[in-house]
This record gives sequence, structure tokens and C-alpha cells, in this order.
Amino acid sequence: MSEFNNRIDAQRRILRLVNASRDFKEELFGLSSGALERWARVNDYDEHNPLLVLLKQAAAKLSFLANKSQEQITDEYRSLSDEVASLTEQIRVAASNFSF
Amino acid sequence: MKQHLYAFGSLCRGEIDELSDVDLLACVETQQQARQFDSGRFSIYTRDRIRTLWRQGNPFAWHLHFESKLVFTSDGKDFLQELDAPHAYEKAEEDCARFMQLFEKSLRSLRSTSDSHVFHLSCIFLALRNFATCYSFTRGRPIFSRLSPMQVDTPVPVSPDVFNVLVRARVLSTRGTGKALTTGEVSMTMQACPAIHEWMQSLSPSEVLT
Repeated sequence: MSEFNNRIDAQRRILRLVNASRDFKEELFGLSSGALERWARVNDYDEHNPLLVLLKQAAAKLSFLANKSQEQITDEYRSLSDEVASLTEQIRVAASNFSF
Repeated sequence: MKQHLYAFGSLCRGEIDELSDVDLLACVETQQQARQFDSGRFSIYTRDRIRTLWRQGNPFAWHLHFESKLVFTSDGKDFLQELDAPHAYEKAEEDCARFMQLFEKSLRSLRSTSDSHVFHLSCIFLALRNFATCYSFTRGRPIFSRLSPMQVDTPVPVSPDVFNVLVRARVLSTRGTGKALTTGEVSMTMQACPAIHEWMQSLSPSEVLT
């Protein structure tokens, strides 16, 4: 499996952890900055919300914050780091425990 | 330090609609110079990275070669034009297989989960569009448009309504803008996915070449 597809897999895992955790007014559509801002706005979360902070960290690691990445057809992305795995676990815990 | 700014993509094709983005490229010399630009507004590349993409024959290099226009130069030169044509793109078969994998995995996720449907549809669109662009190279006429699946010689057999739902899912996921999808729209698009899969299989370069 390519590194690009691995990054999509990582994004999918994170979105599923969040969206399956409860009924939001509107679910999270992606890890772009625009999608995160929309999700926070619609669900009334401020910028210090712990889950939102973790999601932004993961998005930055996965290079999804900016939607301008044009190199979707290349296989030279940085390898996913252990840090992403750690952030994903923190998101799982935050999504299941955090009182919104 | 040298700096070259380009417009590229739909703007340069004159392909403007309500979902069109303005694609801007900044070619810079150093990572430090790159940090001056808003990554939300610009695709930011060092000149070395651009040269590497050119040597590799990466589809993005071809995209810029065919569909970019210089809007600012710090030294009176046109950096991209001086690079001449990129190396031939030789990975269509491999890349199409990769995007087919992404399509199949996204479809499995869409069918097996009750959440994150917009994201799964967004990935299906990403796979479909990139597959069509890679395939179009094998037909001698690369197509970089968001509409590439509809513009290749054998268009994807889905209705404009279904295609529009896929585009909207992609925009919701990557920009966070647009009207959320309805259950009916998701259902309609899921029903069209087997036809999309068959289309990808029939056009897959590995199938065509054997």
C-alpha cells in the first residue's frame, strides 16, 4: 500500500473515532482546516476544546490542514510517524471520555 | 531571493463554476522563504522540489507545464518555462492500481459504517478523479480538470447528479464549505458505485495492456 493511501487510512481512522463517538449536530467531514473550523463552529466548540486541539495536531502531522497539497499522484510523502499513532490513541480516549 | 508566482488549474482553463478554487503556486528558493506564504492560499514548492517532480515526470509537473501562467517574477524570468517539458510520465499503470485500491477501500468503508459518509464519498471522488487523470495520460491527452472522469474518451457512467454529490463531498472535506449531503443523496451515490468500479476495471491500464 502506498504512503499516500496510508495517510488517507490514518485520516479515516481518526474521523471514524470522532464521528462514531456520539451524535454531533454535524459530523466531521475531514481534517482540512476548513472542515475542522466548520465542525467546531456548528457544534459550538471553542478553539481550546481538547479534542479539537488534538485533531489539529494530527491534521498537521498528516499534512491535511492545508488543502493545497497537489502531489496526490506521488509516493514520496513522509512516512507516518509513531506520533500520529499516539495522537490517534489520544483522540480515541478524548472522543470517548470528553464531556462536550 | 528569487520568487515566482503562478496561477494554474481551472482558472487557466477558463473552467469556472461555483465550486472552482483559485489555484496559486509559489516557487521559492528555501523553506524559510516558503514560510512567508499562507499554505491555505498557495501551493508552496521549493525550486529543487519542482525540479525533482520534473525529472520524475510527475503528473503535477505536467499539470503545471500545460496549465500554469506566470503572475509574478522577482527576476524577470519564467522559472517553469525555462525547465522545458517534464520527463515522460511512466507510472500510469501503478498509479491507477493505487487509486483503484483507494476506491475499493473507501467503498467498503461507506457500506460498512453508519458515520463519516461524506468523508468516504470524498475519498471515492479523489480516487475517481486521480484515476481518470492518470488514465488520460495513456490516451495521449492528459486531463487535469476536476471533471476528468467525465471528459476522458470513455466517460464514467454516472449521472451528473451523482457526480455533483461526489464533488460536493470532496469540497466539504477539503474546504469545509457547501451544503451537507442528505441521506437520499448518499444513498443515490452508493447505488452508482458498482458502475464506477466496473468502469475503473475496464479502463485500468494493466487490463488494457494485457
